[in-house]
Amino acid sequence: MGFQTNRTTIYIAAAIVLIVIIAAAVYIATRQAPETVETETGTAAETTPATKTEAEAVELKPLTGNVREDIVNIARFLSANGVTEAKYRVHGSGDPNSIMRVYGIVEAAARLNKILEDEGVNFKIVIEDIKFSANADEPAKVFQQSFPLKQEADIIAVSYRWISTFAKEGYLLDITDYANAYMGTELEDYYDSLWSSVTYKGRIYALPQDTEARPLYILKPVMECLGYDAWDIAKKIDSGEYTWKDVMRIAKEAVDNGCSEWGVIHRKGSAHPDLVQFYYAFGGEFTGSNPDKLYLNLEALYKWLAVEYALARNGLTPENMLEWDWAKQIHPTIVSAKTAFDIGGTWYWTEWQTKKYYTDPQTGEQRGLTPEEVKERFAYSLFPAGEPGKKPVTLSQPFVWMISANAGKLNPKYDDLKEAYHRIAFLLILKANDPDLVAIHSIVSAHIPIREKAAQLMDDQQFVNKLAQGNLDMFISDEARQAFVDIAKKTAHPINIEFLKSVTYMLEYTHIPPLHPSYQPLAEFFKDAVDFVLKGQMTPEEATNYVVQKIQADPELAETIEIVGSIPTGWEISP
Amino acid sequence: MRLDRLFTLAFFLGPALLIVITFFFLPLLLTVYTSFTNMRNWNVDAYLFDIVGLYNYKVLIHFAKYDPMFRNALITTVVFVAVTLVVNVLGGLTLAILTFFLEERISIHYRLLWLLPRMTPVAVYSLLWYYFFHSDAIGTLNRILLLAGVIEKPINWGSYMLPLGTWSILIFVNGLVGVSFGMIVFYSAIRSIPWEYFAAARVDGASNLTIVRRIIVPMIRWHLLFVTVWQMLSLLTTYTHIFLLYEWGVVDRTWGQTWSLLVFNLAFLPVGELRQGLAAAAATVLVVIGAILGLITLRILGFQRMITKPRGDI
Repeated sequence: MGFQTNRTTIYIAAAIVLIVIIAAAVYIATRQAPETVETETGTAAETTPATKTEAEAVELKPLTGNVREDIVNIARFLSANGVTEAKYRVHGSGDPNSIMRVYGIVEAAARLNKILEDEGVNFKIVIEDIKFSANADEPAKVFQQSFPLKQEADIIAVSYRWISTFAKEGYLLDITDYANAYMGTELEDYYDSLWSSVTYKGRIYALPQDTEARPLYILKPVMECLGYDAWDIAKKIDSGEYTWKDVMRIAKEAVDNGCSEWGVIHRKGSAHPDLVQFYYAFGGEFTGSNPDKLYLNLEALYKWLAVEYALARNGLTPENMLEWDWAKQIHPTIVSAKTAFDIGGTWYWTEWQTKKYYTDPQTGEQRGLTPEEVKERFAYSLFPAGEPGKKPVTLSQPFVWMISANAGKLNPKYDDLKEAYHRIAFLLILKANDPDLVAIHSIVSAHIPIREKAAQLMDDQQFVNKLAQGNLDMFISDEARQAFVDIAKKTAHPINIEFLKSVTYMLEYTHIPPLHPSYQPLAEFFKDAVDFVLKGQMTPEEATNYVVQKIQADPELAETIEIVGSIPTGWEISP
Repeated sequence: MRLDRLFTLAFFLGPALLIVITFFFLPLLLTVYTSFTNMRNWNVDAYLFDIVGLYNYKVLIHFAKYDPMFRNALITTVVFVAVTLVVNVLGGLTLAILTFFLEERISIHYRLLWLLPRMTPVAVYSLLWYYFFHSDAIGTLNRILLLAGVIEKPINWGSYMLPLGTWSILIFVNGLVGVSFGMIVFYSAIRSIPWEYFAAARVDGASNLTIVRRIIVPMIRWHLLFVTVWQMLSLLTTYTHIFLLYEWGVVDRTWGQTWSLLVFNLAFLPVGELRQGLAAAAATVLVVIGAILGLITLRILGFQRMITKPRGDI
């Protein structure tokens, strides 16, 4: 009896499993069907009947390099095919002042629509969903997970470093041909060094959105306390006369003499990108003769870790630096001059003005610094050379506009008309980089402009005054204008513009870590290694070997990363 | 008669079976399948049928051989599961017994208090401990000890006497959440023991300890079995609190990772390449280990005897 019951149960279970599997199979098989129906009939309200002759009459011509001609041609082509509206979604990220990474597209759509209106074309571009995340990698992570489900944003603004992974998987639109059409016109004045950040295996997958440098901030009050001239130190660092050994010496003097609590403060949470400057400053490179490989120079890595180790052992940098809180510890320590040096970024300059990191000693009020106070407080230089004979450096990791390989997928007749939809997406990111928009973004967020025309505009006093007064009549989109009024009033200050101009020279010294899928895991190992040496859990040699061990423990990394050089014997650094 | 029986079985077993199949069996099958593919970066279209055989398992073995963090994760998992399990089961039992001997109106508040960690959202609860164990003077524990003059400078608890500091934090935080489960099950089990047993024991002059040893523990042994197995399996797979403590730097990076967090990190976290095939292989290993451990525990604690029908020999 018991046996029978068991068998019966098994039969029932088997039957149910079968039903579930069949149901799942039927569901998956029929999933595509509604989409096809939607594509054919979808958004009926937006489509107008078009005769075949009309559609044939307007052909999609090759891009000319003239935005007006191109958008009119694309719009007429779509209109002739019965489509009068194209929808796109955009997702950007960054510090609170960098909202151009979404509103740039909103404004670009408005500018393209204005052209179409002027030309009497019955077509409109709609940016139907904009999303801005504080976490810089958020749009990329969301994009990565939602692409296979066809739920991703059409345009994202994220760090260039995602390009290799996304391009490899076929998630990004290859815009090489589109960009080539505009190389002689709109893209002519882009800084040359930036093209490497959007090119993967010879193809262009994005347009630069902004870039930055990472200065070493030198606290003037601390240097005054020591009897030094901060700008003199900055000059000596820039010329290569002062190296990290000198910076450590001055930092130690500051701490020993009670002029500051700490010697050198830097970022938390990761080694990339700020701390990777150490690697470059000691002559390390990630590229070599084989373009498919990533190179790791052990000597440069060891020397970097030796500096961090010495900083923490001498009480100049907190042992738990990588765990510090940005808003409660890192920025308040810097703006209150409790450190002699800070390894930071250009955007700190305006962040210190808009965020309330500073506690006023007189009133006890927490507030942002004024532009004048920031100027009084900070001198800045390149990231110092690692040792005599090496060069000072900086590091940029441009933000870029990427377009999904499925861009425009929400629109009618996508399969037939996707080339036109892709071109519109490209023109959107192209227009989002109009010189005035790039200049505004650079000024309000303290990033370095990606093109010369924007840099020139920052010299235009009339333009800057308008911004400072909150007069943003250059914007066509009310939504975009409203988003910038307050930020512009706060940050469009001559001091900030002067700062930006004065750091642009740093781009000549910049390094852009390579677009290689193995770079990110390697940067994670760097983070662990830095954490270990800061805490004294490992010596620089042990931490260097740890990185090597981690690479060798992963067969895929071991194959793609080539280790060169060796740990130097007898090399030491101390303040 | 046979059809009737079939219908009855289907009626009663069907819904539960459907749920088990949909939410456990099919995902498990998918995970095992994925572990044999080259699935990465969520690119289902490209890798769903890209079968790579045992490649992912070989990579795992390679990791286990050469990656020190990987070995640490294994050791941490064993220590974490074993110690937290003891804390959860014995702690839950102790709390249940204590509250049983308390007056009901006091006991109910006391039990409610212990449920707080379970009722608090994971992020909030973890944030609380982030600030409590923070390595600087802004940390509550450091603050208290500094003010009391016990320590002179803040202690980095996560790195303290490695790996003990990190393990203690992990066990403490998860243990506090876990004890309430045992407490509730045991308390209700004890309450269901006929009152006459206790009355008779008292008349015979039994002490509280004797009552616990001779009546309570033997009478709730099946509940003890259930809670032990259940908690062991959930500890083996839990990672939410650990993830936050790890990410926020409360616990040490070398010793603060358990196997389940490792699976999560492989599949979701890294910037750039995400390796779901590899993560699925690690998850499959975890399921196998969980199943083996579960079976062993059931055997040791005599699960077979629990499910045999009573012989009725009164």
